[in-house]
Amino acid sequence: MWLKLIGSILVFLVSSYIGFQMASRCQARPRHLRQIISCLGSLRSYIIYAYLPLHEAVSRCTNGIDGPVTVFFQNVATMLEKEALLTPEEIIKRVLSEMQGILMLKSPEIEVLHVLGGNLGVMNSKEQEKYISLVIEQLERFENEATRLRDLNTKMYRYLGICGGMAIVIILI
Amino acid sequence: MGLDILFKIAGVGILVSVFHTALKQAGKEDMAHLCTLAGFTVVLLWVVQLLGKLFNTVQDVFKLF
Repeated sequence: MWLKLIGSILVFLVSSYIGFQMASRCQARPRHLRQIISCLGSLRSYIIYAYLPLHEAVSRCTNGIDGPVTVFFQNVATMLEKEALLTPEEIIKRVLSEMQGILMLKSPEIEVLHVLGGNLGVMNSKEQEKYISLVIEQLERFENEATRLRDLNTKMYRYLGICGGMAIVIILI
Repeated sequence: MGLDILFKIAGVGILVSVFHTALKQAGKEDMAHLCTLAGFTVVLLWVVQLLGKLFNTVQDVFKLF
């Protein structure tokens, strides 16, 4: 009897935890996208108005932001400074693959960031501004979509986690 | 047998209705229907076993076959 009760409580707690975890993953995606957009906005300013070298601009663009997005940009900046043989595109690809589980981005956003890496530092500042503006525009579209999905799915994941646990307990008892 | 199977079926019914509402609100109507179908199947499995028992009892009582 006690064993059953403890087992049921464990199953219920674990499935609720999974549900809440999925919900928080869902909430993290628009936040990360918003932070990336604001970082890219300040990166654009650092490139156009301050004419900073790329690694310094990338490292400074995260001012005031914390979390995985800052780690991403800082890693990119460090690698830009230290790995002289790698292009920005390769560096962004490498850092993105290192941070796959931490940065909640899906494949379209990752593709856009690869495009950004391909165009960073290879043209004059005016052309770079155009590309960064284009990337920001695309990311804003993804952010709107992610916000819509978050509003729809967060509640659903929580309900499914809790009710799924209860259903498993009822069916197994 | 007791009443627990009835309570179990009621519990599954309530949970399936909550699942259905949550999934429908999230715009996943097809998953909601699938979920209802899964709940129905589980309950049907229990009920079919009970029905089998009932028929066996009827056979025994009336000495059929």
